[in-house]
Amino acid sequence: MSGGREQVLAAIRRSLGRGALGADARAALDARRGATDSEPLLPKLPKGTPAQVFRTGLEKVSGTMSELTALEEVPGAVAGYLAGHGLAPETAVAPSLEALDWAGAGIAPSVGPTRGGDFAGVSQAWRGVAESGSLVLLSGPENPTSLNFLPDHHIVVLRAQDLVSHLEQAWAALRERGEKGWPRTVNVITGPSRTADIELTIQLGAHGPRSLHVLLVD
Amino acid sequence: MEPLSHAFKERSIWALQDETLQVALNRAKDGFAVKRATAVDRLPEFEALRDRAVAIKDHTLENLDHYLERYADAVERSGGKVHWASSAEDARRIVVDICRASGARMITKGKSMVGEEVGVNGALEEAGFEVVETDLGEYIIQLAHEPPSHIIVPAVHKTRGQIAELFHQNHEKYGLTRKLAEVPEMVNEARQVLRGKYLAADVGITGANFLIAESGTSVIVTNEGNGDLTCSLPKVHIVTAGIEKVVPTVEDASTLLRLLGRSATGQDMTTYTTFTTGPKRPGDTDGPEEYHVVLIDNGRTTMLGDQFREMLRCIRCGACMNHCPVYGAIGGHAYGWVYPGPMGSVLTPLAVGLKEAGNLPNACTLNGHCAEVCPVRIPLPDLLRTLRHREYQLRLGLKPMRWGLAAWVWFTTHPRIYRLGTRVQARMLALLAGRKGRFRRMPLAGSWFRGGRDLPAPQGETFMAVWQRRQRGQG
Repeated sequence: MSGGREQVLAAIRRSLGRGALGADARAALDARRGATDSEPLLPKLPKGTPAQVFRTGLEKVSGTMSELTALEEVPGAVAGYLAGHGLAPETAVAPSLEALDWAGAGIAPSVGPTRGGDFAGVSQAWRGVAESGSLVLLSGPENPTSLNFLPDHHIVVLRAQDLVSHLEQAWAALRERGEKGWPRTVNVITGPSRTADIELTIQLGAHGPRSLHVLLVD
Repeated sequence: MEPLSHAFKERSIWALQDETLQVALNRAKDGFAVKRATAVDRLPEFEALRDRAVAIKDHTLENLDHYLERYADAVERSGGKVHWASSAEDARRIVVDICRASGARMITKGKSMVGEEVGVNGALEEAGFEVVETDLGEYIIQLAHEPPSHIIVPAVHKTRGQIAELFHQNHEKYGLTRKLAEVPEMVNEARQVLRGKYLAADVGITGANFLIAESGTSVIVTNEGNGDLTCSLPKVHIVTAGIEKVVPTVEDASTLLRLLGRSATGQDMTTYTTFTTGPKRPGDTDGPEEYHVVLIDNGRTTMLGDQFREMLRCIRCGACMNHCPVYGAIGGHAYGWVYPGPMGSVLTPLAVGLKEAGNLPNACTLNGHCAEVCPVRIPLPDLLRTLRHREYQLRLGLKPMRWGLAAWVWFTTHPRIYRLGTRVQARMLALLAGRKGRFRRMPLAGSWFRGGRDLPAPQGETFMAVWQRRQRGQG
């Protein structure tokens, strides 16, 4: 609908009292580092290691976390989590984590996206953000988005080296992906699903996961 | 939706007399203000971030055509399609056409205020689609056939008893017949019913909190995860967004996100912040096959060119209504359209006309609280005053009020007569009130005294006279 496009743009220019911007003006706008053409204003973080600050943020929003020393420990930690919640040793697993020894931990993994039949889902975070205790997950064949939202329990593997202080550092890293650019979806997840829509009473597990558990791997 | 703002006075009186509503409003009032204040106190950079946010929005609006073009081109590069709607009618037609072309039957929706504004649901239902709101609050008011009464918590006016009754009436067809009493079991039942809808939906429609020009990305924030299920599971995803939602970069969006959650609900970060760019990529095992964005003007370009441009900075956090004594007393429905509270009192007359909604800008005590908490520093009281001025110039409003204002203007522009008049009046009233110093009733002002109120009488001297006396050192 190019007619619609021109109509709206013309109305904008009328209101701004000018015509279309020239090539030079547009190039100058494109060269700016964002609207204010300055470094982002990043809030100062509380004292502590990135892992400590991240844990504080995560726990504030009812997330939980355990720290592991190697990726190989993930299946065992997932088995422990499932048993601790009285769940069968079954879980959906992102293809990025398929190579781990799930059978060795007594878990029957279903690898790939879910249609809602799985009680637990394990996926891998691309970055963790200390400022807010948030996880950044990228969609793709290796990390289906459905794992982040449909299971009751969402377990997320985060490597300690992928912890950043602020969201802006994650964006800088995303720009470095170059060609691949933005995946279909970047999910920034801060705690389990919640609602306060009935009498402003906070209730976890509205539509997404009822609990969020992070496995921080050093 | 058909505006009912002309009946503001009647609707306010009903609201004040509605005991259930008053219970719900009292619960909401302090909760929001305290949560926001706590979150803001924890962030020393908050004021500096507000300045940044104003600069981001002002710069983008000043170059809105450029950033929208950059945004639209980036969406198309990522495989999505952009549609431009000048009016609400255009927007409805575009959404219905996309749904028809995809052969859809069932449509899930994430909460979208611009969707409410242009009336997407009504148009889709008229065209024969089943439309299901998935945000719990929106779902509740959809069952009740009511508009939202708050832009963040749409069903804030409902009590759990009313919600239990709605679920009881509407969930029987799913075999759920038990009458519920507690919040957790109600949330669970809605989760169960809506899960089926997500998985069966052919099209998902969401709004957008921000659009990022550099990458063609739309951003939504939700706490429930309903927006994500809506935009990830169906084979078509439609984003409806006002043209003012665009920002140049993802860093700009991140600055605004730090303000949005804190101002709205007192959260440092909303649970799910989702950045969507185009449809599923080759090799992706989930995600929609089609990604559409409907960019909606519907009066925004007019605001861009007049005194109301600052209103386009609004990020729809709801802080202004959470801190408004008038909203706190009457709730959202009295305002009679989609947007309530101070931001609604500016937007509604601009959207539906001052003739329909002239009462809204007048229902304000000009206490300024809304402007104090607005994360993007919109001078809401000034804009409301501008609307009052416009109403006067257009010769709208009640005649006695217009005459009264005209007389007032004449007196205040003739200071000698004004001073003499007020001096005489102050003395007369002091004499008439006698020793009690107050009036129990007065001609032409009956409504003031209703409910047992007295009017304190002047003490015999005008403020200006006292001031002058003190300045001369005789006080």
